[in-house]
Amino acid sequence: MLELKNITFTAPGTDVEPPRTIIDRLSHTFETGKLYAVTGPNGSGKTTVAKIIMGINAQASGSVLFEDRDISDWSISERAKAGIAYAFQHSARFKGITFRDLLAISLGTDDEDKLVEIIARVGICSMDFLDKPVDAKLSGGEIKKIELATVIATNPKLAIYDEPDTGIDLWTIDPMVELLKKEKEQYGTTTIVVSHNRTFLEAADQLILLRRGKIAYSGDLEGALPMLRDLSICTFTDTCEGVADVECYR
Amino acid sequence: MLNAIDKELLKGVADLEDIPKGAYNIRKNGELMGREVSANINIETNEAGNGIIITIKPGTQNESVHIPVILSQAGLHDVVYNTFIIGEDSNVTIVAGCGIHCGSSQSEGHSGIHEFRIGKNAQISYVEKHLAIGEGEGKRTLNPTTKIFMEENAHAEMELTQIGGVDEAKRMNEAELGPGCSLLVSEKVLTDGTQNAESKNELILKGEDSRANLVSRSVIRGDSNQDFFVQLTALAKCFGHIECDAIIMDNGTNQTMPALKAEHPGAELTHEASIGKIADDQLIKLMSLGVSYDDAVNKIIQGFLQ
Repeated sequence: MLELKNITFTAPGTDVEPPRTIIDRLSHTFETGKLYAVTGPNGSGKTTVAKIIMGINAQASGSVLFEDRDISDWSISERAKAGIAYAFQHSARFKGITFRDLLAISLGTDDEDKLVEIIARVGICSMDFLDKPVDAKLSGGEIKKIELATVIATNPKLAIYDEPDTGIDLWTIDPMVELLKKEKEQYGTTTIVVSHNRTFLEAADQLILLRRGKIAYSGDLEGALPMLRDLSICTFTDTCEGVADVECYR
Repeated sequence: MLNAIDKELLKGVADLEDIPKGAYNIRKNGELMGREVSANINIETNEAGNGIIITIKPGTQNESVHIPVILSQAGLHDVVYNTFIIGEDSNVTIVAGCGIHCGSSQSEGHSGIHEFRIGKNAQISYVEKHLAIGEGEGKRTLNPTTKIFMEENAHAEMELTQIGGVDEAKRMNEAELGPGCSLLVSEKVLTDGTQNAESKNELILKGEDSRANLVSRSVIRGDSNQDFFVQLTALAKCFGHIECDAIIMDNGTNQTMPALKAEHPGAELTHEASIGKIADDQLIKLMSLGVSYDDAVNKIIQGFLQ
């Protein structure tokens, strides 16, 4: 249902730094109704890939095919209308816009019954969230739940969640994983979760491990464990690379 | 009788489809167009003949009074001085506002000075909208002044809105709060083209445990300009907060100057101010829900000014 073909993304250079390749000729096919976990070290390109799929970042080369249509040049709105939804790691805060407003935009109606229905479906947001302003006063957990609900309310064919557990308490992570699994099973939603959290990795049908903008591994969690352990030991690329007199001898 | 323009203006400034029920005073082109009083709300012309005195009886509960002003006479600059005497323990809603229809090249304007004397334990909700419409090229000017004097434990909510069409506006808000009083001022101004709006605010927290919260939201389109000044002065143990945000679109300009002055050690005064364009993450969020760029801008502005 989604195909990434030879995607390259380059971050523009600055006065002191040359342009940097973030995603390097990446290709992958995502199948309908599966849950994918995208993981990898910081800076490996996870969020960049997710944003390329949503049209937030524009790839330098390569193409994005969604349901056999080339959507590489489509705007964010066009992709959303086609059925792609995106839950942001750092959710936008507004002034004067409530959860009700966002939910109504997602649903395409402000019908009270429909809004209540979606809150019940999401499960992790209480009804009294509805008239809360989506502003800086919301806690990290509250805003993430709202973010999740606005995505599910669009009834997406493809839902992308960028680090959905950021700011979420330990007791909400399991219900959140269950929710994404339920959405996948009941509505056939193809789901991509960018995460470092083992609970999400375990829930995935397929794990994609990114490293330096390339897919280092794609398969089940068990197969990825040696590489994950290795990555957990060596964070050279994140913490040491570029530092004077430091080299990796492994 | 109200003509079509009158109705459009009344709808815009006071949300009225027709002559309101209850107490009202409608002023059109500098003259009284209609007045009705109620058992608890009296309206009379002041001695100088340049405005009205609205007197709310003590203990009046959940009543409202409408006092809109509409202008459609070319070249007229109307000035009124209205006084509101709000009786103790009352709870009322006051709907004011001025609508200008400009159909010629001559300027039109209105300067309304509203003085509120709010008695002990009284609560008021004051809604004031300013609007200018019409195809004429004449300059439309609206210069409102609001003076508020609050006695012990009085509570006031002031919603002041200027949405579109006003070329020049100079607003002045002054308030003095007694012990236990609370005041919430919410000001929303949208300017476009080459319009200019200035708002000066002086709030004095005189009484112990008084509270003031002033929220200003500005949207500055085209080549317009808005200047916002506020001084919050604490003379007692009290709490005051100022929140002023301006969204600049196109080539608009803005000056925002919040000032806090504590003359008592128990004062707690805070302010937050921001000037900038619509945040990208807000636009992208709405677009990711299927909204076009232009609709996303409109929704964000609508919410901001709501």
